[in-house]
Amino acid sequence: MTLKDIAALESVQTLHPDFNADTAVTGGYTSDLLSDVMANADDGCLLITIQAHNNTVAVAALAGAAGILICNNRPVPEDMIASARREGLAIFCTPRNQFEASCMLGRQFGV
Amino acid sequence: MLADLHNHSCLSPCASLEMSPGLIARTAAAKGIGLIALTDHNSTRNCPAFRDACKRYNLTPLFGMEITTTEECHVLTLFDDLDAAMEMNRWIAAVQPRIPLNLDYYSDQPVVDADDNIIELLTYFLGQAVPHSLESVRRQTRLLGGLFIPSHINRHSFSVESQLGFLPPGDYDAIEVVPGTVDAYRRRYPDLPVITASDSHCPEQIGTWPFHIHLEGQGHDIAAIRRGLMNLTLNNLSSTP
Ligand SMILES: [Zn+2]
Ligand SMILES: [Zn+2]
Repeated sequence: MTLKDIAALESVQTLHPDFNADTAVTGGYTSDLLSDVMANADDGCLLITIQAHNNTVAVAALAGAAGILICNNRPVPEDMIASARREGLAIFCTPRNQFEASCMLGRQFGV
Repeated sequence: MLADLHNHSCLSPCASLEMSPGLIARTAAAKGIGLIALTDHNSTRNCPAFRDACKRYNLTPLFGMEITTTEECHVLTLFDDLDAAMEMNRWIAAVQPRIPLNLDYYSDQPVVDADDNIIELLTYFLGQAVPHSLESVRRQTRLLGGLFIPSHINRHSFSVESQLGFLPPGDYDAIEVVPGTVDAYRRRYPDLPVITASDSHCPEQIGTWPFHIHLEGQGHDIAAIRRGLMNLTLNNLSSTP
């Protein structure tokens, strides 16, 4: 899986173009506690969360995540998108909740 | 008296390195602040320097920190007694996760003295949530005689509202809200003192959002400050339409 494949998933919208679409996505990590993401998320994962704010970008970048998928159509603030562009970190959003989004990604990985 | 109960020194990983306790005290005094708290993320290590600095400028200091609870709510815990604040720090440090500080994203975390000399650099990330709940932090704060004030409760991240969706009913000395929302929160919580704070992370932010408090007598200890805060709720009633 690459970020390009994530962007092509049904119901997934890409919020900015400034990332390398060929970046490998190694799995998913679903969490709304940033301290948990910081401590436990794996390199190259897609972070599945409803925490649509700037701090999520910093934590995802620190954790080495390939991108962020914001669930439940939570509005993503401009400053979050701006930080993600600077980091070259992909942000996607979806109307699905974290469970549905995780299942969708899990199917891609045969989980 | 003008009070500003939420300020970060250079020790906080997200604050400017210029924010020495000495500079905070000097700037606050110049802006007419009388009561000021130092509240670094999950550490009181710069409070000894802050005590010395406040003495120089004749400010009433409060020693504390902004704790990131397990729920990832930011809360202020404040003491008039430096020893109590350092005791609170030991309680936090004993269980604090040791995630290495990543200098690509955060700045150094220097412990300094009142003359801006670096005493130590803390190498683990101070912003990480500590394994204590909101309630357990509240209990420990009370045990040590401190003030317990949830920070920026209506901010969109790291706040009681962002993490829990509501303010749990409980024993708060005040609630800090985002500037511009004080009246709305006074109406919503008529029994609680509603305050603003600068939450300063760089010199320009020092003293930008203080609030007025009336303190009786000379002591300006926690009891007097608590009474001063409670008196703010009288305005809540008068501001209710
Ligand atoms: Zn905060
Ligand atoms: Zn703060």
